[in-house]
Amino acid sequence: MNFFQAQNKARHNTRLLTLLFIGAVGSLVVLTNLLVLVFFVDGQPGLSFTEQISQAPRELWIYTSLGVIGLIAVASGFKFLALRGGGKAVAESLGGVLIHQNTRDPQQRQLLNVVEEMAIAAGMPVPPVYLIREDSINAFAAGFGIHDAVIGINQGTLDLLNRQELQGVVAHEFSHILNGDMRINLRIIALLNGILILGIIGGALMRGSMFSRSRDRGGLIALGIGLLIIGYGGTFFGQLIKAAVSRQREYLADASAVQFTRSSQGIANALKKIGAHSTGSRLQSPQADENSHLFFGSIRSFSSLMATHPPLEARIQALDPNWQAQKGFGRQNMSAGSGTSAASQFAGHSEDFSQRCGSANLPSAQQLIASADESLNTASHETFEARALIYAMLLSSDEATRGHQLSLVQQRAEPGVPGLVPAMYERIQRQDLQHRLLLLDQAIPTLKEMSRPQYQRCYDLIGQLIVADGQVDLFEWVVHRIITQELYAHFVQPFRGSGRISRQSKVDTQVARTLSLLAATGARDDNQRQLAYQRGAQLWGSRSAMMDIQSFDYQALNQSLEKLRHLNADLKAKFLDACAAVAAADGQLRDSEFALLKGIATTLDCPLPPLDN
Amino acid sequence: MEMIIILVVLALLAFWVARIYNQLVELQNRHENGFSQIEIQLKRRYDLIPNLVETAKAYMSHERETLEAVISARNDAVAGLAAAAGNPGDAAAIQELAGAEGVLSGAMSRFNVTMEAYPDLKASANMTQLSEELTSTENKVAFARQAFNDQVTEFNTYRSSFPPVLFANVFGFNSDAALLEFEDSQAIQAAPKVSF
Repeated sequence: MNFFQAQNKARHNTRLLTLLFIGAVGSLVVLTNLLVLVFFVDGQPGLSFTEQISQAPRELWIYTSLGVIGLIAVASGFKFLALRGGGKAVAESLGGVLIHQNTRDPQQRQLLNVVEEMAIAAGMPVPPVYLIREDSINAFAAGFGIHDAVIGINQGTLDLLNRQELQGVVAHEFSHILNGDMRINLRIIALLNGILILGIIGGALMRGSMFSRSRDRGGLIALGIGLLIIGYGGTFFGQLIKAAVSRQREYLADASAVQFTRSSQGIANALKKIGAHSTGSRLQSPQADENSHLFFGSIRSFSSLMATHPPLEARIQALDPNWQAQKGFGRQNMSAGSGTSAASQFAGHSEDFSQRCGSANLPSAQQLIASADESLNTASHETFEARALIYAMLLSSDEATRGHQLSLVQQRAEPGVPGLVPAMYERIQRQDLQHRLLLLDQAIPTLKEMSRPQYQRCYDLIGQLIVADGQVDLFEWVVHRIITQELYAHFVQPFRGSGRISRQSKVDTQVARTLSLLAATGARDDNQRQLAYQRGAQLWGSRSAMMDIQSFDYQALNQSLEKLRHLNADLKAKFLDACAAVAAADGQLRDSEFALLKGIATTLDCPLPPLDN
Repeated sequence: MEMIIILVVLALLAFWVARIYNQLVELQNRHENGFSQIEIQLKRRYDLIPNLVETAKAYMSHERETLEAVISARNDAVAGLAAAAGNPGDAAAIQELAGAEGVLSGAMSRFNVTMEAYPDLKASANMTQLSEELTSTENKVAFARQAFNDQVTEFNTYRSSFPPVLFANVFGFNSDAALLEFEDSQAIQAAPKVSF
């Protein structure tokens, strides 16, 4: 199963849940109306209940219903906005401290490397990592999507787990992000908060009315009690639902993590260590409750119904069937063989190219990182040097242009940077495209540590370097796309596709143009081009003929992608599959094809993992 | 009917105030993170300096004063950094750090001037490598400091702008964050002391 499928499932689940909650809110409205009727309206004696209902003034229903819905909406909205502040806000509210990309602490360095590997394996931007100073073994992922995602790790996790186990935990967290769990939870929490408001108001009414002298005093108190019961009762059941959903997502995240890392040992051993540890995965911080579902292990000891995580034993059992629960957690040195049976079950069978576009490829990413140039790797993690790296990447192989570009750097960059660029250029020349794009991916989180004016200066210079030779080639376009998508979103304004386009016919031209460009990029002759294009067009379901594209026109491509960005999630996945099919049509993936795919995927906000060469 | 309108307006106001609070928190966190980036770079610089002095000692046996001045200034700066890192919002601690850094820069520039008289030392492989690393670290410190100051300015500007200024004190953002100003090391080029 790949991430696209998982996200689809998650979206459908969310819709069901939303319906459930609408039903719940509806019944709350009805109940409140009845309460108001019973306690407020002076009934005429002798009339039956139903007759009293029909006799009551219309305004009563309208005001009560509007009032209830309004209250729930406002309270939900508040919560939604608060949580939507992004993963960073959550991490900082839990007392997390940002780990800088150029940290020299070996534990933190290892953690950053693990997180970076995972992000590159999944083809998503590398998230910032926060450190929580607690001794228990736990980790969390926060954020609405892959762009404001944040990973948090407890100090205890770093101290007690080895690299493989750490990898398992981080993979589990990434799975939460990639499976779309955040979105579900966000909606549930917001809605629950809305329902809770009723209970709170009921309580306030009740207390307030005790001291009032109005005629309706008895009625108000009773109304208060009624609302209290409805509100808190509703919240209670809502929490049960939330916990059940959370438990289910945990199992899914565990399974996805195994697929991610191609082994179940890391996660299983991490869970066993949690079991053996005295504080286990529990957290001291009081703010953690709100975000309890985000964590790897359960942060409080809940009763089974309210537990946000399945019991440890059950999780370990699912990952490692040979493990025996009665023996307790004492034994962690399980034989190496115990993990393999589970692993083979989940091994990725994604030979199919387009399948691979949605699933992570950890071994490939690790190999890519290991084979990269050491000093360039270091440079990509130092904010000061990372810029020189990007400038060097954009230098032209033509001497005259390069001279012009270097003088631009001399004029516009901060002191110290121009000196670094020539040496980096030499090294970068020896890197292939995959490694260059890897360095770019690694540099992005580092560059996010700049200040806004610094970013502006850097971004302007990048633009000037690109147009220095009077044209924009494919690689320059990809670099610019990635930098814009990530850094512009971080410093200026995030762009999120609206997902409003759900009809294929609306984007036929744009799709045809993009697929034609892809076909033209890879193919050697006209026949091949046609074939490749046909593959993609078939997948998409288009009848449009291939367009004749002679050269790389970045403006036309940008225009098409601007529209395609607004495709809804299902169509985006379909479109990327079509693109992948075009690229793979000749059985070979050229650098230029991969670069173009990466640029398209980045613009569309979809992860694109590295591919085995 | 009026009740509903009033409630809606109140709700919108509340959202708006919440937004201001969130923004204040975000900008404060951003500059505090920015400070810890300076910390990393400064620590690297402070770690390089003892190596530098050790290498120089072998050649500059008669320049004890200069070398000792460097080491003591460096130790003061380390202490200043630790104090400021504990509380990047405290203006006094930042001032102390800036002062200590100023003294260190002065000592370093005197050291550099003195080194001119020892061409052997200057040309030694060890020294060239150390000097190179030191220069690169200086650049990184400058860059990190610029980022920090930008972020502090952003926070201060937002805090004193309207309407956040109405709520800043209530939410506990009582004072402006302090910029980190290092005196320009060129300006403290004291004349080398000639001792016979």
